[in-house]
Amino acid sequence: MEVASFRKKELISNYVILGIFAIVSLAPILVLIFNAFKPAVEFGTNPIGLPNNITFQNFPDAWIQGEYSKIFFNSFKLVLGTLILCISVSSLAGFSLAKLNPKGSNLVAIYLLVGISIPAQMFLLPLFLLWKNLGLLNTHIGLIIIYSALNAPFATFLIRSYMIRLPDELFDAAKIDGANILQQFFRVAIPLSWPVLLTSALVVGLAVWNEFLFALTFVQDEELKPISTILFAFSWRFINNQALVSAASIMMVAPVVILFLLFQKKFISGLTSGGVKG
Amino acid sequence: MKKIIDSLLVLSFIFTSSAVFAKTQISWWMEARAERDPIVMEKLVNAYNSSQDEIELVIEFTAQEVLGEKLRTALISGGGPDIVRAAGPSFIKEYQMAGMLENLDSYADQYGWNDKIVPWAYNSGVFDGSLYALPLTYESMIMLYNKTLFAENGWGVPTTLEELENVASKAKAMDMNVYSYGSTGWQPTHEHLVGIYLNNYAGPENVYKALIGEKKWTDPVFVEAIELLRKHMVDEGYWSGSLENYYAIDWDQFHDAFSARDAAMMTIGTWTFQRTEMNFSSIDDDWGWAPLPSLSSNSPNQNFMLAIGTSIGLNPNSKNKDAAASMLNWLFSNKDVVINLSNSLEFAEFNLPLYYEDSDFPTDVNPKIKDFLSTFGKVTGEGNYGYCTWAFWPAEPGVHIWKDMEVVWAGDISVADYMADHQKLWDKARDKGTTLSIPDR
Amino acid sequence: MKIFLNKSLIAWYFILPVLFIHLFVIAIPSISSLALSLTDFRGMGKLNYIGFENFIELFDDRYFIKAVYHNVIWTIAFLTIPVFVALVCAYLLTGIKRGQLFFRLAFFFPYMLASVVNCQIWKYLFSPIYGIGTVLSGFGLDLFTTSPFTTKEYSLFAVAFVDGWHFWGFLVVIYLTGMYQVDSSLYEAADIEGASKYQKFRYITLPMIRPVLVFTIMIITIWSIPVFDYVFILTKGGPAYSSEVIGTYMYSQAFERFNVGYSSAIGTMMFFYVLIIVGLFGILRRLGWEV
Repeated sequence: MEVASFRKKELISNYVILGIFAIVSLAPILVLIFNAFKPAVEFGTNPIGLPNNITFQNFPDAWIQGEYSKIFFNSFKLVLGTLILCISVSSLAGFSLAKLNPKGSNLVAIYLLVGISIPAQMFLLPLFLLWKNLGLLNTHIGLIIIYSALNAPFATFLIRSYMIRLPDELFDAAKIDGANILQQFFRVAIPLSWPVLLTSALVVGLAVWNEFLFALTFVQDEELKPISTILFAFSWRFINNQALVSAASIMMVAPVVILFLLFQKKFISGLTSGGVKG
Repeated sequence: MKKIIDSLLVLSFIFTSSAVFAKTQISWWMEARAERDPIVMEKLVNAYNSSQDEIELVIEFTAQEVLGEKLRTALISGGGPDIVRAAGPSFIKEYQMAGMLENLDSYADQYGWNDKIVPWAYNSGVFDGSLYALPLTYESMIMLYNKTLFAENGWGVPTTLEELENVASKAKAMDMNVYSYGSTGWQPTHEHLVGIYLNNYAGPENVYKALIGEKKWTDPVFVEAIELLRKHMVDEGYWSGSLENYYAIDWDQFHDAFSARDAAMMTIGTWTFQRTEMNFSSIDDDWGWAPLPSLSSNSPNQNFMLAIGTSIGLNPNSKNKDAAASMLNWLFSNKDVVINLSNSLEFAEFNLPLYYEDSDFPTDVNPKIKDFLSTFGKVTGEGNYGYCTWAFWPAEPGVHIWKDMEVVWAGDISVADYMADHQKLWDKARDKGTTLSIPDR
Repeated sequence: MKIFLNKSLIAWYFILPVLFIHLFVIAIPSISSLALSLTDFRGMGKLNYIGFENFIELFDDRYFIKAVYHNVIWTIAFLTIPVFVALVCAYLLTGIKRGQLFFRLAFFFPYMLASVVNCQIWKYLFSPIYGIGTVLSGFGLDLFTTSPFTTKEYSLFAVAFVDGWHFWGFLVVIYLTGMYQVDSSLYEAADIEGASKYQKFRYITLPMIRPVLVFTIMIITIWSIPVFDYVFILTKGGPAYSSEVIGTYMYSQAFERFNVGYSSAIGTMMFFYVLIIVGLFGILRRLGWEV
C-alpha cells in the first residue's frame, strides 16, 4: 500500500531508517532462535551465540512433554471465546461513545479508564471467592469472562477513537433511508471499521494467549490449562534445559505470527482496493 | 438390546467408580523441580501407595513462584489440599494465626511424634503450646571448597577471619573469585550471608538474646557484623567478584563457576549437595565441605546454623485428616524410607530431623554427606548451633533483613540505620504476636 | 414501550454490556479490596479496623515515595521515546511498497512473545559471564561488563528499555490503523504543491490521526501506573529499590510481608492518582481534544 506517496530519493532514507529499527527489534530475538537449536549441554556454556551443534530434537521433546496438542486447543478456545465476547461488547460501547454520546457517557469513559489502571493483585482474591461461589472456577467460560472484562476497556477506547472519525454524513444518509440505530451500527459503522476491529482482535487475542496469572490461579485442572502456563511450568520442571524452553516459546509464538501475517495482508490489500476514506 | 447395553454401562460405571472411591485420596501440593520430582514420585508416592491399600497419596507439582499464592487463595476459600506445605516456620506461623492449620496435638499424642523428632525441629511447629506443623527437612549453611585446588596450592581450609582473608587474597592473586554465589532468581539469597555474619561474628549467644528480646539489634556487635559483611561484599567483592555480579548470577551459573575454578569456595546451604555432586562427577577436581569460619572472638567455636526448609501441616477444611495424619506418621516412622528418599536427593531435601544411628545409613551414602550428617549432629549436640533467618525471623523483619540489605550495600543508608529499622520491625512483630518459638539454649 | 426506545436510552443499551461485565469482574471485587486499606489484614484470618493508620505510615514510607517517583519517570519515558519512534516508523511505512509485511512483522515481533521469554533473552544478553559485555570487552570495549539490571544507577532505565523495546511495535500497529483513515487524495494534492515529507506529516497525517494519537497517550499514561511484569521478572524492584515501582512494591507488601491492609492502602492511593490523571484528560477534552 502507499498512502503518503514519497519521491524516489526519499524512499532510500525510508528504508534505511526502517531497517535500523527492524534490526533493533529482531536482533535480540535471534538469541531465542539460536538457543532453540542447541543441545541442552551446549546451552550452559553458550547461552547467546550461534549453536555449535544444531539439533532439532528440542521441538518434538517440548511438544510431547508440554502436551502441546492439548494446550494449543485450550488456548485457542480461550482466545476465540474472549474475542467473540469482548469485541462485540466493546464495539457496541465504542460506537455509542463515539457517535451517540448519551448524557452521562463521560462518566462511563472515566470509569473505564480508572478500570484499566487497577492492578490484578487488587481484585484477585475477592474475584476468586466470587468465582468459586458461582462455580466458575476450573472452567474456560470463567476465564473468558475475566479476560473479556480485563480487555474490554482498552478495546472500547481503541474502537471509539476510530469510529469518531467516521463521517457523520454516512449515518445521516442511512437514517434518511430509514435505518434505526442498530441498523446504522451493523450496516455503516461495523463495515467501515474493520481495520480497527482487526487491530483490537489482534491485541486482545495476543493478551489472552500470553496471560498466565489468572490462568494459573483460576484453573487447577491440568486438562484445562492453556499454553502460557505450560511455558511457565517448563522453566521449573526443566530448569536445566533452557534450550527446551526456547523451542517451546517459538512454538508458542508461531501461530500468532501466522495470524498476524494474514491480518496484515488483509490490511495492505484492503487499502489498495479502496478501503475506507474520510 | 439397547437396554441391556445401557444397564451394562451403568453397572460397569458403578463398579469402576466404587473401586476408585474405595481408597481415601489425600492431596499434597509441592513446588515443582525437574531433577527431584521423579524421585519423589517413585520413592515417596509409589512407596506409600503400595505399602497399604486404604489411602492413596496424590502429589501435584506446581511452579514455585505461584504455589504460595495459589495455596493461600485456595485455603481462604475453604478448599485446598489435605496437606499444607510452607517454606519454613515463619510462613507456617502466618497460616496458624489465620486458623488455617489443624491443631495436631491429638495426633502427636496418638503417634508419639514428640519422641521421633529432634526437639529443636519439633518445636519449630509449636505455637501457643500446641503442635501445628511437622519439619519436613532441616538444613544448614556451610562452605564448599575446591579440594584439589586447595591441595595444589597448599591452602588450609579457613577456620578464622584471619585465615579466610589470607586465602581470599591468595585466590584473588590467582585471578579467582573468593566465593561463587549469586542472587538472580532468588532475591532472599542475601539472607544466607546476613545469617552467616550474624552467627559467626556476633555469635549464636548474642543472636539468641536478640531473638528472645533480651538484646537489641542495634547493639554494636550486630552492627559490626553487618559492617564486616558490607566490607567483604562491596569493598572486597568476595562473592563472584563484585556486588553487581553477585546480583546477576543465578543458581546454574554459580555452580558452574565453582566447578570451573572461577572461584575457590562457595557459601551455600546443604541443599546444594545434589547439584554439586552432579557438577563434580564429570571433572577431575574434587570438592569438600567445611563449617563456616568463625569471624570474631564473640563466636570462638565454629557452629552450624539451624533451619527448617519446609514445614507441613494439615488443612482444617480437609475431610481426610485422619488419613493424612496416618500418612505423615508413616513417613516420620520409617527411617529406611526417609533415608532412601533423601539419599537419592543427596540429602538436599526430605532430610527429616529424626534420631538416626550410623547403622541407619546404607553403604551407598555419599561419604561426604554422611560425614556432614554426623558432624552436624555432634557439633549441634555440643550446643554449637546458630540460627538461620528464614527459620527464626517473623515475616516482616524476615523480609527486611534481605531486602534492605541491598540498601546498605548500595551505600544509601548506614549499617546503624539499617539495624535501627530492623529493631523497629521486631518490636512491631512482638506487639502483634507474630514472633516464632525459639528453643531454649 | 416508547420510552425504552428513546434515543438516549438506546445509546445506553449499547454501553451496558461492557459496564456489566466490568463491574462484575473488576469493580466490585476491587472495592471490597479497597475497604481492606482501613484494616490490618494479613491476607487471611481475622482483621481489625485501624482507621487511617496505614495511610499515615504510607506518607512516611521512603520506599513508597521512591516507587511513585519511579512511576512518574516511567510514564514520561514511555510517553516520549516509543511514541516518537513509532510515529516515525508508521509514517515511513505508509510510504513504501516493498517490504511492508516484513517491517510490520519485525516491529511487532517482540510484542508477540510472552514477557517471561523476552526478559530471559535480555538477561542472557546482559549477563556478566556470557553476555554482550564479554563480547565487547574482547574488542577492548568496556561496555556492559556488569549487567545494567544489577547496577543501581541504571536498573530502572534498563528495565524500561526492555519493556519499551517490546512495546513500541504495538504502537506502530495502532498508528497504522489510524493512518488508514487518511484520504490519499490529500497527499496527492500536497505533492502537487511540492510539500516535503515533514510537511505532509505535520499538516495531513498528524491532524487526521489525532484521536488515535491521543488515545495512545491516554492508554500509555494509564497503563504505566500498574506496571508490573517486566520489572518483577527482571529485577524484582532491586537492587536497593532502585527500580521499585508502585506495582512491585504493592506485591512485596502483600505477598512477601503479608501486609495486605497496607498493600490495599497503596492501591487506594493509586486509585486517587488515576482519578487525577483522568481529570487532566477531562480538561483536555473541554479544550477540544478528541479524548
